[in-house]
Amino acid sequence: MRSYVFISITALYIYTFLLLAFLSAKKSRLIRDFTVMLGTMILWTGGSLCMRLMAWPSYRFWYHISLAGIGLVPCAFLCFTRDFCGQPIRGSHKLWSILIVAILLYNAATGRILDAPEMVKHGEETAFVYHMTWHVLILYGLCLLVILHAVLMIWRSRRTAGLRVKMEPLLFGILLMYAGNLAIPIFKGFPVDILSGILNAVIMFYTLYSRHIFRMTLLVSRGNCYIIAMAVSALSFYNVAQTMEWMIRRSVPMLAPFSVMIVAIATMMITVIIYGITKAFFDRLFVKEEMSQTERLTEYTALVSQSLRLNEILRELVTVIGDTLHTRKIYVCIKDSDGEYPAVFSSNPLDDRNFSLSASSPLVEWLGMHDSCLLMRDFKRTIEYKSMWEEEKGQLAALRTECFLPLKDGDDLVGLVLLGGKENRHKLRREYTDEDIMFLNSIESVSSIAVKNSRLYEKAYEEARTDELTGLLNRKYFYEVLDEAFEKCRNTSLALVIFNVDDFKLYNQLYGNHEGDRALVHIGQIIRGTVGDNGYCARYNGKEFAAILPGYDIYSAQNLAANIAKQIQQINHGNKESYLKQLTVSCGICAVPYAASSVNELVSNADRAVYHVKRSGKNGIRVYSDGVIGIRDTGVVAEKKHKSMYSEYAPTIYALTAAIDAKDHYTFQHSKNVAYYAEELARELCSSEEYTEILKEAALLHDIGKIGIPETILNKEGRLTDEEYETMKRHVEASVEIIRHLPSMDYVIPAVIGHHERYDGRGYPRRISGKDIPFSARILCIADSFDAIVSKRSYKPGMPVEYALNELERGAGSQFDPELVPVFVELIRNGKIQPVLKNS
Amino acid sequence: MTFEEKLASQEYDRIWQEYCGFLDLDLEAYMKIQRRLLEEQMKLWCGSPLGQKILKGRMPENIEEFRRMVPLTTYEDYADVLLLKKEEMLPDKPIIWLQTTWEGGKHPIKVAPYTNGMLQTFRNNILTCLMMATSTGRGHFDVGVGDTFLYGLAPLPYVTGLIPLGLSAEFRMEFLPPVEEAVNMTFSERNKRGFKLGLKKGIDFFFGMGSVAYYVSMSVASLSGGGKSGGSSLKKLFSMQPSMALRYLKAKKRCKEENRGLMPKDLFKLKGFLCAGTDNRCYKDDLEELWGIRPVEVFAGTEPSFVGTETWNRNGLYFFPDAGFYEFIPETEMYKSLDDPTYEPSTVCMNEVLPGEVYEIVLTVFKGGAFARYRVGDVYRCLGLSSKEDDSKLPRFEYIDRVPDIIDIAGFTRISENSIRNVIELSGLNVENWVALKEFTADKGRPYLHMYVELSTDSVVNRAVSRELLKEHLTIYFKYVDQDYHDLKRILGMDPLEITIVKCGTFAAYEEACGRKLRHINPSLHEVQELMKVQEREIHRRF
Repeated sequence: MRSYVFISITALYIYTFLLLAFLSAKKSRLIRDFTVMLGTMILWTGGSLCMRLMAWPSYRFWYHISLAGIGLVPCAFLCFTRDFCGQPIRGSHKLWSILIVAILLYNAATGRILDAPEMVKHGEETAFVYHMTWHVLILYGLCLLVILHAVLMIWRSRRTAGLRVKMEPLLFGILLMYAGNLAIPIFKGFPVDILSGILNAVIMFYTLYSRHIFRMTLLVSRGNCYIIAMAVSALSFYNVAQTMEWMIRRSVPMLAPFSVMIVAIATMMITVIIYGITKAFFDRLFVKEEMSQTERLTEYTALVSQSLRLNEILRELVTVIGDTLHTRKIYVCIKDSDGEYPAVFSSNPLDDRNFSLSASSPLVEWLGMHDSCLLMRDFKRTIEYKSMWEEEKGQLAALRTECFLPLKDGDDLVGLVLLGGKENRHKLRREYTDEDIMFLNSIESVSSIAVKNSRLYEKAYEEARTDELTGLLNRKYFYEVLDEAFEKCRNTSLALVIFNVDDFKLYNQLYGNHEGDRALVHIGQIIRGTVGDNGYCARYNGKEFAAILPGYDIYSAQNLAANIAKQIQQINHGNKESYLKQLTVSCGICAVPYAASSVNELVSNADRAVYHVKRSGKNGIRVYSDGVIGIRDTGVVAEKKHKSMYSEYAPTIYALTAAIDAKDHYTFQHSKNVAYYAEELARELCSSEEYTEILKEAALLHDIGKIGIPETILNKEGRLTDEEYETMKRHVEASVEIIRHLPSMDYVIPAVIGHHERYDGRGYPRRISGKDIPFSARILCIADSFDAIVSKRSYKPGMPVEYALNELERGAGSQFDPELVPVFVELIRNGKIQPVLKNS
Repeated sequence: MTFEEKLASQEYDRIWQEYCGFLDLDLEAYMKIQRRLLEEQMKLWCGSPLGQKILKGRMPENIEEFRRMVPLTTYEDYADVLLLKKEEMLPDKPIIWLQTTWEGGKHPIKVAPYTNGMLQTFRNNILTCLMMATSTGRGHFDVGVGDTFLYGLAPLPYVTGLIPLGLSAEFRMEFLPPVEEAVNMTFSERNKRGFKLGLKKGIDFFFGMGSVAYYVSMSVASLSGGGKSGGSSLKKLFSMQPSMALRYLKAKKRCKEENRGLMPKDLFKLKGFLCAGTDNRCYKDDLEELWGIRPVEVFAGTEPSFVGTETWNRNGLYFFPDAGFYEFIPETEMYKSLDDPTYEPSTVCMNEVLPGEVYEIVLTVFKGGAFARYRVGDVYRCLGLSSKEDDSKLPRFEYIDRVPDIIDIAGFTRISENSIRNVIELSGLNVENWVALKEFTADKGRPYLHMYVELSTDSVVNRAVSRELLKEHLTIYFKYVDQDYHDLKRILGMDPLEITIVKCGTFAAYEEACGRKLRHINPSLHEVQELMKVQEREIHRRF
């Protein structure tokens, strides 16, 4: 008997080891069932061992403990099987346990079922002789029924495909255990029951592991595992040491004096071997992979925390996932400014990244609402998947995506990682396991923070160096880039072209700031598109753009500038729907080493060249070198002087004013008078000839909108009703609308649109005040009002000049510009302006 | 992952959520799925030559424009493309073409293409129906691998023939008889063989049209009764599984005690019982009595595939959110368009239906389907916008019948005005005027076709035209022009024609009295009563 004691000890060792390990694991119903099962087996094996060793307090006590173990093992196994098969808890399961416990207690008290064995000594050996009666069948029959119940449960679950593979070992284990029990008489003293119990426990352990019920790293910490291994080894060898020594003394008498030492050394060596085997077993089978994942995660965390570059982080992300999980293909999609998720990175640069996931995609919505990674096979089972488009499904299928990893910033989904299939060392396909998911979730939390930070950094970096509106470099960064380029091109050449948009203020006034911004964006796109990677583009100033052209000479820069200027002129050309003014630019070019020797000189010379273009009629290109050396037309007819422009449109203007004349004779004459007064006043205020001319044209056209006012209102005698007055007020906008159709006359619009504005802001149509009213409009307002007072109208007679002047003075500061009124009054009084009174 | 693998994982809550989780959606989430899938279908359909043909070159940008631009369609609009199977004109490549009867006599068949996406949705939705048929409450279902399924369905190319194909791709289910055998059998052979196998292996599922299921169920006694000699019964007993043999003996004993014939419920304990088609409500009570379980009604058609199912409460159906985009023509609008075929009735969406209202359904099939804003010809009543029993916040409907201008008897025939006109012409009878309507027998509530016929005065004088003669005569021609009508008699043993001969001149008198003509098909009951009253008045006037 003693020679087989090691089997009991080994069983006890394994059970204890597993029990302690599982006690520290995260509890689930299955794990709890398994620990209970282990507990009952410890009772059985431990009780049996202690009985055979006749340990304190008595072998009878240990016999009953062992018998309790034997009786309770089937009950624990039934519970384990039930939970493994996903069956509900039923009253019958508890009934089995109650019956068996009752029988055990009854037996312990009376010994009528199976009494403790009789101890019989045969020389030095002690044997235990059982006196069995038919009563023993009650206990064992009950145990058998419980086992049959469990087997039936397993058998029924076999119909559920897939589970069969996992069920079969379980079924095999329990059959093995009870075959072992039945085979006791055959093996005569060899504890085959205990050996089969060990095998059953190992099978159950395997079954649990194969269902990913627990994680080995969480279950068994290294230290914990080794201490148990050593302790149990020491304990077991302590028990066999005497036997071993006895065997040495008997088998090899010559080594008898050294027997103690040999046993001690053997004990130590075998302990070390057990230690090594245990370590190797767990490392190789379970822990190694998990530990390696943890190490990689730590490395990755360290790497990404050191970088703020998105691309670097994504590269690390793809590498760590690819290396750890052996994923075939990985794509990373990052949210762009439109809210879409284009692919920006992949594990292989040759992968087709020409796809994007829509923000409205159910996949993106799901990931946005959850914080964990999602397997494709799980996603297919969600309600959200129902609304996936076939095209989207096809896209994911083509990418062979099996897993999605969200990258979150709070509730915002900043990106997602698409993972392809996994493969093992032999390139065979493998499923993602729960461990992989946990690893990916850890990666997710680290990556999300890193991606968030890098995006913030890159956004800030981008904002700091680019212009918000056009996306070109801003002025500050322009100088930095120019300095760098200058240093690099010191020995070659560097050209700078500055583009200044002509009459942009007028453009804004005409079409509003929104249209102005659109024009700037468009111009920015043209410059960037044309320069491309050959240089740098910047929004140098509000309406000024610059192109830094490393390696360009003056001639090439001129060609490029001409190309850009031509494209800009075409911006509003093809747009037949609207009558937007043609956009032109004045370009100044300078280049080192030809015409400048420092950055400052380069910039200021290019600026000067622009100034020259402005001075000479805008819309042109000039090159600066020791004064202006070159003029280049843009290839389009240069803008003509206002004079000639007016003469071109004179017939149109005449026709329009004649039309008013036919409708309202007063207005026609009035426009001519206002033109005269305004021209004189402007001349007195030292305005340029050109400005005076503009003002005159504006005056002629200022009431042109009255063409749309019904004659009944225009020629009404007496006071206008409120409604009629409102109609009348609309003539200002109507005038502007008409003039807009003559794009080259648009420079008169500021004067026309503002001539009914009041200095105190109570005028119309824009209700602007003070100096916000264009200067030309303020002049026109005085001229208009003066003529209106002194002229005869259908609703009033002509008033005396003095009365009109008094009215102007009275209205100075409220209706009129207080600085202009005295000048005008003075001009009338001193006769420089002769009031036109022929209609009075 | 197939359904079988999902069952193996034992995550039953998850399986329920996957297939039946749409019941938990609120209307907003439901409509979100509808609108998103319609956007996809809009792109596919409007861009296809078929769509462009119907849209006349226009291209809607959004769902509202789609509903405005695409006219309501019928099969006529698709016939030239679909009947010739011009695949290049379709929104997506079809995998299979299914067939059904179009209109008795005039158009023999109509065909419908099924794309890959449609088939996947079909598979999911048929599984939903199966789970729902076995469910006893939310999350509780009992579908298992190896379940047996009594195959009482028409084989391919009919839509029901897809069921075994769809299911077998998802999990092992044993069809009784096996599909490969069943397709070569006649209807009667199939039933006999199915029941015989059922006696051996048990039957877990039964799915059929209400009328067919009833007929099949009624024949159980004769099929399972065996011969008179004890040897045959013994042989039958030995061929059964022990549990079935025990059940058989018990059933025999019980029937003898209760002095009644054997019913299916005595032998089989169905897990799920599904029925589809028209006039199910006439048969449901009897089927429940026969099988001991009330059938769950599911809603399907050749063009739209499976579109909805009842739940465990069997109190109204819910439409699947991913089968098609549902629009509903209110009853008044439907009648307006019946009276004036040029009238384009307005429609409402799922989130606009009102409880108690009757609607004709209009469907746009998703996933590259050919039919857009298609009038399937079915009429439903909205039972409610939510259900406390089902704990659902989705509108619930009940199937009423086909649209009023079609008479469908027991789900077999589609008799239209055209087909009856055709029958009358072929019969050579001098029928002066007629109306036909679907009525139900007073005793069991079974449907039949009731024709009120007015013969010409000449033929009444010169020819033998008794009611029986007319019935026989017309029945022969109905069978001649309409195979489905023929099947009614052949399969179900039904003879659904009833004739009432109306006195000569009654229709003219009615028109004079009421100032309007009667609709030939399904005029309202009041109008028919009025016709009878007019006839009586005419008789009194003469005497």
